[in-house]
Amino acid sequence: MLALAAPPVAAQRPRNAAATYTLPPDQTTPVKLRQPAPERLRAFRQQREFQYVEVKSEQSSWELLWRHFWQWVSDLLETRPGKLVWEYGIYAGLVAALVFVVLKLMQVDITRAFGRSPRPGALAYDVQAEDIHGQDFDALLAAAEAESNYRLAVRLGYLHVLKQLADQNLIRWQPDKTNHDYLFELPAGPLPEAFQELTRQFDYVWYGELDDITPTHYAQARATRLAFQQLLHSGRRAA
Amino acid sequence: MENNLIPGMPAPNAEGIQPAAQPNHDAPAAAPFTSRTDLSHLARHADAIRQELGKVIVGQQALAELLLTAILADGHVLLEGVPGVAKTLTAKLLSRTLEVPFSRLQFTPDLMPSDVLGTSVFRPNKAEFEFRPGPIFASVVLIDEINRAPAKTQSALFEVMEERQVTQDGTRYTVPEPFMVLATQNPIEQEGTYRLPEAQLDRFLFKLNVGYPTVEEEIAILQGHHTGFGGTPLEAVRAVLTATDLKGLREQVRRQHVEPKLLEYIARVVGQTRAHKGLYLGASPRASLALLNGAKALAALRGRDFVTPEDIQYLAAPVLRHRIQLTPEREMEGHTADDIVKQILQQIEVPR
Repeated sequence: MLALAAPPVAAQRPRNAAATYTLPPDQTTPVKLRQPAPERLRAFRQQREFQYVEVKSEQSSWELLWRHFWQWVSDLLETRPGKLVWEYGIYAGLVAALVFVVLKLMQVDITRAFGRSPRPGALAYDVQAEDIHGQDFDALLAAAEAESNYRLAVRLGYLHVLKQLADQNLIRWQPDKTNHDYLFELPAGPLPEAFQELTRQFDYVWYGELDDITPTHYAQARATRLAFQQLLHSGRRAA
Repeated sequence: MENNLIPGMPAPNAEGIQPAAQPNHDAPAAAPFTSRTDLSHLARHADAIRQELGKVIVGQQALAELLLTAILADGHVLLEGVPGVAKTLTAKLLSRTLEVPFSRLQFTPDLMPSDVLGTSVFRPNKAEFEFRPGPIFASVVLIDEINRAPAKTQSALFEVMEERQVTQDGTRYTVPEPFMVLATQNPIEQEGTYRLPEAQLDRFLFKLNVGYPTVEEEIAILQGHHTGFGGTPLEAVRAVLTATDLKGLREQVRRQHVEPKLLEYIARVVGQTRAHKGLYLGASPRASLALLNGAKALAALRGRDFVTPEDIQYLAAPVLRHRIQLTPEREMEGHTADDIVKQILQQIEVPR
């Protein structure tokens, strides 16, 4: 059955198989050879784009110097001590890179190690802490009182008290702390209550911008401060 | 030694202690170290509100103080906490203490902006469109579960929260004065919540975290509910502050003294959020204003007519925590926005 169904082999040839034809050469049209104009050819040859042979420029004295330098380094490294330096230099470089990466990860500012000033922060203003330990409060207070600048005098007197408290290790001076933080640091006894009153007066005068403070008012603030300082002094003597 | 001879001052005694000041007729009659502004009216109202809230809310004194601060500072508040810590109840009670129009919105995922702001409806008898104001047109608007609505609905609040007005079909409609949005939300890690857009978060004066009560407080809550409040909790609270009173108190808060160095301090604290390595997004100048206004209100509540650095430090976290975004590294390390704010405060010198 299958054999009967199969078509004859001739019938399997592609029906559209075309015969191959070749065109005869055109003998009728004469070949006309066109040559470019010599001037045009010359102009092209002078253009940089058509200069296929690269002319090596002569080395400058600077390049020669560098060449000699690297040659010298190469010769040096070829020697026995040079090879040693080269070998250990690689290790030293790797260790230095490792240390640098660790310091970077720990966010350590290594510029300080070289005696340089720390990098400026992103803020455009001064964030330097006030150094209460470097101030001559007696002189500054006397000057402020002499000028009748009582508001400033109250401030200086308060800073002086903070310095004394820090000197006696009754508070831990830190610029970011508020006056009330220091109040909570004081040990139990008469000091906290007295310091609270002193702080209250300072707050009203300094933060409350009491510019019109009279001599009588200042006398009151000064008396509170001196009483506190005396309390502090007697406490130290008792200790 | 200090110079004890000060012009106009009594001489100190032998121990260096200044004697009590003599009466000086040139000096002002008021005590030297007391507020120059009379804040007793404000203190009375604040105490009355605290008292009313305390009838139902156990503990949470700090929360009550910050809510009062926000009212006086004319700001909106976002209360965040896990379910069941009385966020909504606190907001409802607070609104009840104010004698002003109140409305409540329950934010859901299918809520539309027009459901909040209002919409124009056609009146056939007049043959024209008429604007029907939405629930946002009230003095105290409680938005419950604010982060359950998608960003489209959240955006509807941008204009009204900042500019106190709604623009519809080219017409501006002003919301009543005072205007305050009290919103509650579950932490964003909770199921079915969306993170609020930064622009909207920035419009909240404070984000207050409502935590769990202590054991003693929880026992007191149970006792209160067991014995009853003499009705529902809301009935126990009465209005103690009118809109006119509130306007006067806010005016008083606006006139609070702020030492110029403290303005610089606020700018430094907020500025540092933009330079901090652990932060991907810093706080805006609106945050500086929020910190200033909040500090002025808090100082008034604490009986002072001037701001101190404590006020600023106390409010730094509530003002900044929702306005800053931590870098992914810091979040993975387990840091919170409050930790970063604390670090920033430690980096900046307190002016004195």
